[in-house]
Amino acid sequence: MTNILDDYALMSPLRHRNNWLKLAIVLFGLLAGISSTSPVTPLFIAFCMGFTTVALGRAPLKLYLKLLLAPLGFAVTGVLIIALFSGSGQELLSFKLMGYSVLLRKDGLELALLVLSRSLSGMCCLYFLVLTTPMIELFAVLKATRLPESFIELSMLIYRYIFVFLGMAISIRYAQTVRLGYSSFSRSLRSLGMLGSTLFIRSWEQGDKLFLAMNSRCYDGKMTLFEVHRPVRVPELLLTSAYFLLTLALLYLTKNASIV
Amino acid sequence: MIILETRSLKYTYPDGTVAIQDLNIEIMKGKKIAFVGQNGSGKSTLFMLLNGTLKPGQGEVLFHGVPFKYDSKSLRDIRKSVGIVFQNSDDQIFAPTVYQDVAFGPANLGYSKERVDACVQQALEYVGLSHLKDKPPHHLSGGQKKRVAIAGIMAMEPEVIILDEPLSNLDPVGADEIVDLLNEFNHFGNTIIISTHDVDLAYRWSDYVFLLSNSKIIGQGTPTEVFKDPELLKKAGLRQPTTLEIYREIERRGLAYGRNSPKTIPELVNTLKPLDLMWVDVPPRVKEGDSLNIGVMYGEYATQSPYEAVNATVLHIHPNGRAIVELKRKGIKAGGILIYDTNNYSLPEIKQILKDGEIAFVGAMGKKSKILAEQDGVGLDVSSGVVDKSILMALCGKRCLILTAGGMVDHAFKRIKEYVEKSGIEFTVGVVNREEGCMWLKETGDNSETLKI
Ligand SMILES: Nc1ncnc2c1ncn2[C@@H]1O[C@H](COP(=O)(O)OP(=O)(O)OP(=O)(O)O)[C@@H](O)[C@H]1O
Ligand SMILES: [Mg+2]
Repeated sequence: MTNILDDYALMSPLRHRNNWLKLAIVLFGLLAGISSTSPVTPLFIAFCMGFTTVALGRAPLKLYLKLLLAPLGFAVTGVLIIALFSGSGQELLSFKLMGYSVLLRKDGLELALLVLSRSLSGMCCLYFLVLTTPMIELFAVLKATRLPESFIELSMLIYRYIFVFLGMAISIRYAQTVRLGYSSFSRSLRSLGMLGSTLFIRSWEQGDKLFLAMNSRCYDGKMTLFEVHRPVRVPELLLTSAYFLLTLALLYLTKNASIV
Repeated sequence: MIILETRSLKYTYPDGTVAIQDLNIEIMKGKKIAFVGQNGSGKSTLFMLLNGTLKPGQGEVLFHGVPFKYDSKSLRDIRKSVGIVFQNSDDQIFAPTVYQDVAFGPANLGYSKERVDACVQQALEYVGLSHLKDKPPHHLSGGQKKRVAIAGIMAMEPEVIILDEPLSNLDPVGADEIVDLLNEFNHFGNTIIISTHDVDLAYRWSDYVFLLSNSKIIGQGTPTEVFKDPELLKKAGLRQPTTLEIYREIERRGLAYGRNSPKTIPELVNTLKPLDLMWVDVPPRVKEGDSLNIGVMYGEYATQSPYEAVNATVLHIHPNGRAIVELKRKGIKAGGILIYDTNNYSLPEIKQILKDGEIAFVGAMGKKSKILAEQDGVGLDVSSGVVDKSILMALCGKRCLILTAGGMVDHAFKRIKEYVEKSGIEFTVGVVNREEGCMWLKETGDNSETLKI
């Protein structure tokens, strides 16, 4: 079976740290990144988050780079357009492209760099959360947000059954493949249709079975969520504060600086 | 005392399939019960009726003599006392983590948070899964899921626990562990009901067997009674248990002794003694039917253990003064089995025992003991079928140590004692660190004294 992102989060050693601390770090990173006016702070945040995810969170570096690459592709195209078509200050570069003259201006370039670094820092922050905090840890957080109980219960059950049905879909597909269900285009369509309908019926049945399973253990309409208590340890606190302070300092120092 | 009872029970599925008809059974408290039957004979359906999940079309189910009522409060009480482990663990486990799944039952019983935690920890330790408590179920193997499902029920501490095919999909060692677990649970007075098509398991494990075929009970009784009858088994679409089949063949060839129904390999081996006859010179005044003390034999004359005290019964005296006697052998330096309770575990003590006791064979029962042994580098020679293997080794004059804990200590002790009593082959067995002192090692000392003579 292929690993999905949640699996990496489950294996990460940072999984067993305080969820609130992680959330605070991510939130702080996002806010600081957005409120920065120079690219230095966001780049620093991106570096710190990336380092933490890969070195402390043991996310495979290759996977991490691959993950960054996809959204970065979009960001880069957007940034190019901003750099070339916006701004009004000093000209840095100009060339002709298919008859059009393209100008690269100073403030355009600065804006482009800022956007790029901000999106990078945002991505790194979110990936930090995604790769170190599996869904099962977030249920406790959901609960604290005072969402309706049934919503949380439902999300817990859905989480579990996503994997049951994923497993089911994979094995049905495999069973179809070994009996040549995907050997031609029309057959593939037929097989896929069968897969879908079977999955639908199975999920219906599974609902019945789930009800039986819950009832046979005296289900009385509420599913208690047991939070694991994970106190924030001193080294974590120190490291986080150092990171926060450094970021704030950078934010202050680079307030009016320009790098181009 | 009857704990569960059904009276002319009938169940028909909505599509018209009659899955259970005219079923009258009585299940005794504290017993190990097995329902054996082919695929589709109605075992799973019956189990769901026994726990109130399905409502019978006709007839009734009684718990402690009181008929089931199907309102939600009564059902809750029934389900609190009768726990069921489903055939397919994926149907049973629904919470996002192992811990939360096991905690689901106790939490529904309205326990306090601390008590729920204690129940869950205990149940997980019991099935040897404490280290996986934060994992999501889709990261577990089939056997591990089965154990989570069992822990989820055990955490509710039901009086009766029903397991539908508890050993399907398990490797031999894992299956053995579950069996040990069930035995231990039974030792504390809980009734255990399983369904299986594994006749070997039903034969050797259960106290009472129900044969189910085509939605009816076609036979019931102790495993020895039920599996003795080839006709009945044929009707149920089952075969004889392997040990019994081997024994029948050996007996037919005149190689086995006595009319037994051996359940385990040691018992089977024990029946392989032909009548032990010998010509001896007898003193003049001896009559037929007298007993003689022949003394200690060893070497090739001792057949069952290195040294044997032999008594003989005179069967026939020939006119020339020689007589035919039947020998009764009693091993004096057969091996021994020592049981070590790992609840009071200390590594130096084990090392001491291994050295002083000349232990040749070490086994562990129960996940906890196995993990302990592995951690501390105590080499295990066997981890499944431990009691049987130890008896076989002891018969060959070796000394064995079994590491185990809690109720399994008593269970193992009881089984070995029973064997000694039944077979008449004596070897020492004792629990080391329970009663004061080390009773077996003392006996070893005595033995070596005797042997010097
Ligand atoms: N949901 C259902 N709807 C209709 N018929 C069913 C349903 N479940 C089981 N049956 C039928 O009821 C009969 C008894 O099934 P049951 O599952 O109790 O058998 P079993 O003894 O547990 O078999 P196995 O050893 O395969 O688990 C079978 O003939 C089966 O086809
Ligand atoms: Mg079944």
